[in-house]
Amino acid sequence: MDAVNIAELSGNIAVVGYGLAAIGPGIGVGLVVSKTIESIARQPELAGKLQVTMWLGIAFTEALALIGLATPFIFS
Amino acid sequence: MANKSENLYKKAIALSAILMLIIGVFGSGIGLMVAGMAGVYSALIGAAVSAAFSILTILSIWIGARLPLAGFYGMVLGGWLVKVLLFAITLGMLQGADFISGPVFFFAVVTSVLGGLAIDSWVVLTGRQPILDN
Repeated sequence: MDAVNIAELSGNIAVVGYGLAAIGPGIGVGLVVSKTIESIARQPELAGKLQVTMWLGIAFTEALALIGLATPFIFS
Repeated sequence: MANKSENLYKKAIALSAILMLIIGVFGSGIGLMVAGMAGVYSALIGAAVSAAFSILTILSIWIGARLPLAGFYGMVLGGWLVKVLLFAITLGMLQGADFISGPVFFFAVVTSVLGGLAIDSWVVLTGRQPILDN
């Protein structure tokens, strides 16, 4: 190790990509589900409608994860 | 009495499966022209993987909706966790395989995901859903 590279790293940067692709949508899905549960707790009679809306929210959020996880196939 | 939301889930699952079949057929045709047999396998595997992903999401919400609130939470988020793990492992295994064409696989996945989103949105927006459900 020379004087310039004081923190040399080795390995595959795609691993960091996998982590980033999971963390954002993970937070997003967590927020969607927590807000849905909050709403169901307030108005249980709306559970069906809220769950369908939540499904759409989750579908859009996890699309990001899927695309993020598949990017190493074109960028590597 | 059948829950009305269940009709939406069933419709979305059926339409997603049809869309993935269409993408599998057309994608493998395009893949064959672009990358030979590797393109065919890539398009088929890409469409199948993203179909499994989006259909499992719908199933987890459908099954979770029958459980109490904590079970619903566990089903949806636990299902998400398992799905991402399986997806990451599957992609990790496929990445080094010589029967996979990277760009064809990527575009098959992206097309299936976006098509699945369009179907989900269409089903929810056009579905007749009563306000009082259960």
